[in-house]
Amino acid sequence: MISLIKSAAGGLTGVCRVYGHQQVLSQCCLKTLPAGLKTFQVPPDYSDVFLPSKPKLKFLNKVPNLKKAKKEMKKLRDIQGPAKASNTFINGQYAIVALGGGYLRWGHLEMIRLTINRKMDSKTTFARWRINAPYKPITRKGLGQRMGGGKGAIDHYVTPVRCGRLIIEMGGMVELGEVEHILSEVAKKLPFPAKVMSKESHAEMLKMQAEKEQNNQNPWTFKRIAQGNMMGIRKVLSPFDLHNHGRYSGKFHFPERV
Amino acid sequence: MAATLFAKFVPKHGNGHHIYGWLPLTQTVRHGSKAVTRHRKPLHILKQKLLAVTKYIPPPQPFPRGAYPSESDHNQEDNGLMLLQKKDLKKIFEDYKMIAVVQNNCGNAEDMVILKHRLHKHGISVKFFPNKVTRPFLINSIYCNMAPLFIGPTVLLVSKEPKVKEMLTSLRASPQMTLLGACIDDTLLSVQGIVSYSKLPAMTVVQGELVSGLTMLTSHTASLLQRHPAHLSSLLQQYIKQQNPNNGTEASPTAEQAT
Repeated sequence: MISLIKSAAGGLTGVCRVYGHQQVLSQCCLKTLPAGLKTFQVPPDYSDVFLPSKPKLKFLNKVPNLKKAKKEMKKLRDIQGPAKASNTFINGQYAIVALGGGYLRWGHLEMIRLTINRKMDSKTTFARWRINAPYKPITRKGLGQRMGGGKGAIDHYVTPVRCGRLIIEMGGMVELGEVEHILSEVAKKLPFPAKVMSKESHAEMLKMQAEKEQNNQNPWTFKRIAQGNMMGIRKVLSPFDLHNHGRYSGKFHFPERV
Repeated sequence: MAATLFAKFVPKHGNGHHIYGWLPLTQTVRHGSKAVTRHRKPLHILKQKLLAVTKYIPPPQPFPRGAYPSESDHNQEDNGLMLLQKKDLKKIFEDYKMIAVVQNNCGNAEDMVILKHRLHKHGISVKFFPNKVTRPFLINSIYCNMAPLFIGPTVLLVSKEPKVKEMLTSLRASPQMTLLGACIDDTLLSVQGIVSYSKLPAMTVVQGELVSGLTMLTSHTASLLQRHPAHLSSLLQQYIKQQNPNNGTEASPTAEQAT
């Protein structure tokens, strides 16, 4: 009996699961019995996901199509503070969210476009830009030039990005785990700290922040002291600290501050 | 770096241009770095103190967050498969008399097949159910005290007749299966209980013993009466002698007279 089974074991390669009452076990094939019984989750339903006709990222121009390019002031305030525009999910489920401010150059955009277009599966996923093509001119003086002599010539164009803005949105009939490695590769190479988030985790992050503000046991908050100008602290604070409440300073964002 | 505006000369009289005093207008305009820099700007000591004072203090927690399972985990809906498995469990508890819980540390399928074969010969079948399904089912039924048994890789051995002895012998053959407990005829038994249950004689034997015990006296007298009367009388005489050894001489003539 045992020798029969052993020979059967050697011969057979296929294994399957068995439930309920069995027929006589002398001629059975070997069934694998896993260590613990797996409980199966219902697979996600992608019936409401719409795949657009052009799923890949489109090409963004290096230079905007202007007749006459005007030189622009530095205006670093377009990096400062939280993002008001383009900070929510529109038609994708997963996105790269900027956690700091910075400028994106055409080189960065090309890197993003090529990496994502190469790695994603265009049959099941689509990707969308959430930032514009570079439009802000940055001037540079020639090498070795002394100060003075007017403003330099336009060298290149950049896209300013504020903290909290979405860079790329991806969606389709995939889960976060399938898309995460592609987006995290891109997120590492951006000039500001960035994070891969899904719609749910983004909402969770905002909810946690609101909860933190609610259940803070500290009776003294930055907002309260700054707005009341207690101890004349506004002498050392910036006017932006009034509405940023100490969570932003320059292009930096401090997520642990409440 | 710092450009200072020089003192402003204030004439006291309009016509004489006599200088009586000057207002020192030392407004040092600092041209440091801009507001948005690549580096973290050094903070003024007062701002540092402000940030230190206004740090986030979380609410006090009686126990760490991962210590106990959260309430939200309990109220998850059963998917179709789980409902089906619960129905199967209900049927099993209704149909089968003996349900034994065994911990299954079998390494390979071969051992399991051998065990299944051995048990099948005695009419015991092996059932697999995930603990996630059995525990809530048991807790909500009358078998709630069985629920603590279902931790780890467990397997149910079910049979219509409570054939405990055969089950124990087959389990002894496979060392990886550990008997945890059983529910036989709606009574929960521990391992020692099962062992003592197996040592009990069969029902018919017990019934026979009971009957024979009850009718022992009548059957004894019946067998005695079937013997020869002389034998009976000699027995009685001997009995009387034993009962009254002092009055032996008196009793014997009365006995002789009787016969």
